[in-house]
Amino acid sequence: MSLPRYPTLTIVAFAGLMLLTDVVPALHSYKVMDWNTVPGVLNFIDRKPSATPEAEEQQRLRPDTARQAKYPLDDDEHDLDRFYQALHKAEGKGKGAEARILHYGDSPTTADLITSDARTLLQKQFGDAGHGFCLIAKPWAWYAHRGADVEGHGWTVDPVNQSTIKDGLFGLGGVSFRGGPGATGRVKLSGPHARMEVAYLKQPGGGQLRVFAGEQDLGVVDTEGAKAQSGFASFALPADARQISVQAMSGPVRLFGMMFSKESPGVVYHSLGVNGAYVSVLAKFFNESHWREQLQHYRPHLVIVNYGTNESVYPQFVDYASEKELREIVRRLRAAVPEASILIMSPMDRGQRMATGEIGTVPAIPRLVAIQRRVAADLHCAFFNTFEAMGGMGTMGRWYAAEPRLVGADFIHPMPGGAKIVGSLLYQALLEGYNKYKLRLIQKKTMVAGK
Amino acid sequence: MLSSSSSYFVFLVAIFFLYWPVARNRALALAAILFANYFFYAKWDLFYLYLIPVASTVDFVIGLGLGKWQHKGVRRALVTTSVLWNVGLLAAFKYMPFVLENWSAVTGAAKPEWHWSFPIGLSFYCFQSLTYTLDLYRKDAKPTQSYLAYLSAVSFFPTTLAGPITRVSSLLSQLEKKEKTLSMEDGGRAVFLIGLGLMKKLLIADYLAGNLVNRVFDFPNLYTGFEVLIGVYAFALQLYYDFSGYTDIAIGSALMLGIKLPPNFKMPYAAENIADFWRRWHITLSNWLRDYLYFSLPGLRSKWKIFTYTNLVITMVIGGLWHGPSWTFVVWGLLHGVALAVTRAWQTWRGTETNPAWWARGLRTFLTVQFVCFAWIFFRSASLESAWQVVNRIASLSFSTANISMPVAIVLGIAALGHYVPDDWYKASDRMFVRSPFYVQAAVMALLLMAIHYVNATGAAPFIYTRF
Repeated sequence: MSLPRYPTLTIVAFAGLMLLTDVVPALHSYKVMDWNTVPGVLNFIDRKPSATPEAEEQQRLRPDTARQAKYPLDDDEHDLDRFYQALHKAEGKGKGAEARILHYGDSPTTADLITSDARTLLQKQFGDAGHGFCLIAKPWAWYAHRGADVEGHGWTVDPVNQSTIKDGLFGLGGVSFRGGPGATGRVKLSGPHARMEVAYLKQPGGGQLRVFAGEQDLGVVDTEGAKAQSGFASFALPADARQISVQAMSGPVRLFGMMFSKESPGVVYHSLGVNGAYVSVLAKFFNESHWREQLQHYRPHLVIVNYGTNESVYPQFVDYASEKELREIVRRLRAAVPEASILIMSPMDRGQRMATGEIGTVPAIPRLVAIQRRVAADLHCAFFNTFEAMGGMGTMGRWYAAEPRLVGADFIHPMPGGAKIVGSLLYQALLEGYNKYKLRLIQKKTMVAGK
Repeated sequence: MLSSSSSYFVFLVAIFFLYWPVARNRALALAAILFANYFFYAKWDLFYLYLIPVASTVDFVIGLGLGKWQHKGVRRALVTTSVLWNVGLLAAFKYMPFVLENWSAVTGAAKPEWHWSFPIGLSFYCFQSLTYTLDLYRKDAKPTQSYLAYLSAVSFFPTTLAGPITRVSSLLSQLEKKEKTLSMEDGGRAVFLIGLGLMKKLLIADYLAGNLVNRVFDFPNLYTGFEVLIGVYAFALQLYYDFSGYTDIAIGSALMLGIKLPPNFKMPYAAENIADFWRRWHITLSNWLRDYLYFSLPGLRSKWKIFTYTNLVITMVIGGLWHGPSWTFVVWGLLHGVALAVTRAWQTWRGTETNPAWWARGLRTFLTVQFVCFAWIFFRSASLESAWQVVNRIASLSFSTANISMPVAIVLGIAALGHYVPDDWYKASDRMFVRSPFYVQAAVMALLLMAIHYVNATGAAPFIYTRF
C-alpha cells in the first residue's frame, strides 16, 4: 500500500489549513469550509418516475396554480365595489357593459408583463371588450404589448420622465409623440376590433393626420385648436382590419396613443407603463388638468397605481417623499374620476447581491410597502401586497435559482414565467374580492326580500 | 455534483485515498475507478446506474465481436449497431421532444407526450463510447478482453460531464498499465490545474455571467446597442473561462489518479481564421467530428470538390445539433460550417500565406473573433427570436455604458488579457507552483478558496457545457 507522498502531503496540509479556521478563534472569520456538508456527499437523489414532471415543477414553483389567493386585497372600505359592479355587469353580458382598468406602472408594465397575464385571465372570465391603449410607436425598445405589435417612425418621442418639454401634456400613457408630414405609427392587432380611437393634442397651428386600416383610408383628423387641449377621434374599423396606422399629413401634430375596443361586453385593461417610472410621474410630472381630461375621457372603473421598484434604491426618497407623492396621486385621481376605484399595488421584491454574496431584498422595499399600505388604508383605497404575495423577503433570490429562472439576472425584471405568477396572483385576488362582493349582494338582496 | 463544488472535492480526495493504496493491484484499481465513476453518475441521478452499465455492455460486446470477426459485412453490421445504439440513446433522450415539437408545428397535429428527460453528460458519453467501436472497426485500436477495464474507461468520471472527449483506447491503455505512479510534478500539476480551473470558473466566468451576460441576454431591449455588444464579447469570454475552467478541473482530477487527458483549448480567440479557431476551441470535439464524422461522409475522395465543402457544412450542422435540440444550435453550426467551407475554398484558390505581416495577422484575428462572437449570439440565445433581438439591439447603434459597472469592466479586462497570456508565462507559473513546497501549494489553494468564497458566495452556476 503506497500513497503518492507529495500530493498526499499537499492535501493533508490543505485540510489542516481549513481546519485551522475552525479551531483557532482568531481565524473564525476566514472560515470557508463547512464540514457539515461532507456527509452530504453520500446523499443521492432518486429519480422519481412521474407521468407529469412538468406539471409537478409548475406546482412546486408557481403559486398561480393555487386554488385560492393566499394574499387577498386589503379592501376593508369596499372601495373596489364600484369596480366590481362594472365587472358584474360585464359578466351579465349586457350590451356595452365594460369594466375598464387603467394600470399605471414601470418597466414590467411597459413591456406588458404582468398586465398581459392579468388581462388575459380577466378577459377569459368576464369577456374581451378590446385591447385598450397603445402608444403610437415604441418609445424604447423594451415597449411591447401582447396582441398588439407597435411600430412607428419619424416622431420626436418625449417620455414624461425624460422629456425636454415641461408642459406636462403626455396623454394617458405618459409619452408624447411630436411629428410632421411623413411621421407614422402602426399597430398590428392579433384579433378583430370594432373601433379605434386616436388621442392627440389640439393646438394652435396643429396639422392633420390620416388614419388607415390596412390600405383603407378611414379619415382625416385635424389637430388645429384654439388652445392646447386633449383631442380624440374615433373610427369604426372594418371586420378584417388588423393593421391600423396613423400618418401625419401636415404641420406639427402631437399624438399620445391609440385605443382599440370591441362591441362585445367585457374587460378593457389598459397597460400604461413608463420605463424608469416612479410616483412623481403621476404626482408631479403629469399636468393635472390635462391628466384629468384624459381620465374623464377614458372613464376607468379601476385605476391601479403600481410603482416602487425604481424609487426603492433611493431610501431618502422612500422615507421622506414617496408617501406625500402617493397621497397626491390619490388626490388627483379622486378629483378627476371620483367614481373610479383605486388600487395601490405594491412593487415586487427587488433583489440585490448582499455582502455575503447571497441575493437579498433591497432594504427599502419592505418600508416602501408599509408606507403604501398605510396610505391606502388612510385614503380608503384598496391595497395589493405584491411583495408578500410573491413570497416576501428574498423572493428574487429564490426566483433566480429556480429552473427555469423566473427573474432576469438584474433581479428586477421578471421572466415571462415570473410575470405570469404575479399577473395570476393579482387576478386571483381581484376574483376573490369580486366573489365576496357577489356574496354581499346576495346577502343584501336576501335581507331586502326578508324585510 | 458539479466539479466546482465542495462535495466534488470531498469525493475526489476520498477516491484518491481509496485508489492509490490498491493501484498496484490491477483488478482492485479498476474496481476503485469503476466505483468512483458510478458513484459520480449516481450523484446526478440513480437512473444512470441502469442506463450506463447497459449502454456500456452493448458496446463492449460489439467490441468483442469486432475483435473476433474479420468478415467485412459482419464488421459493418456490428459497427452500425453500435452507431445506431448510441445515436438512438441520444435521439430518445435528447432529440425526441425537438423532433415531436417540429413535427407537430409542420403537420398541425397535437404534440405527442414524451416524458423522457435528458440525462446530463449523455452526449459526451455517447461520443466517447463511439470512439471505441469505430476505432476497432477501422482497426486503429485493439479490443480489451477485460469487461471491468472497459466499464471503467468508458465512464471515467472526470470526462463524463463535459469531456474532454477522450478515445476509450487511450484511457484503456493507461488504466490497464501495471505500473501506476504519480510523480511530484504530476501531483503538483494536478493541484495547479484544479486551482486554475476554479479560478477561471468561479472568479471570472460566473462573475461575468451574473453581472453582465445573463442580464443582456435576458432582456436585450433594456440595454443600449453598445452594452449588448459588450455583453456578447463578455459571453465569448465567459464561455471560454467556464468551459476551459471545467476542462482544467477534469484534467487535474484525472491526473490525481495518474491518468492524462488531452487538452481542449489553445488560446482560441487568437485564431487567424475559422479553421484555425476549431484547432484551438473544444479541440477534442473538433477532432471527433473530423475523425469520426467528416471523414466518414461520402464524396470526400470524389473528383467533385463540392463534397469537401458540403461535408464541412453537414459536419458542423450536426456538431451544432449535438450541443442541443434547438434551431439556435442549427444556425450556429450552419454559420461555422459555411465559414469553414469559405475558408477552405479561399485557401484552395489563393493558397496559404506562410509569413503574413503582423498587422495582417492582427486583422485576421480581429475579424475571426467578430465572426465567432456573432455566431455565439445564436449559441447563447434561448430562441432565434431572442437572438434576433440581440442582433437588432446592436444594429441600433445606441450608446451608453450606464449598465457596465467599473468592477465588470475590470473583470472583463482581466479576462481578455488573461486569455492572451503567452504560453511561456503559463508554463512558467505552472513550473513555479509544481516546484514549490507542499505547504506553499496548500496555502495557495487555501487563499484561492477564500477569495472564491468572498467573491462568489452564492455557489456556482452549472458549467455551461454540462447541458450538452
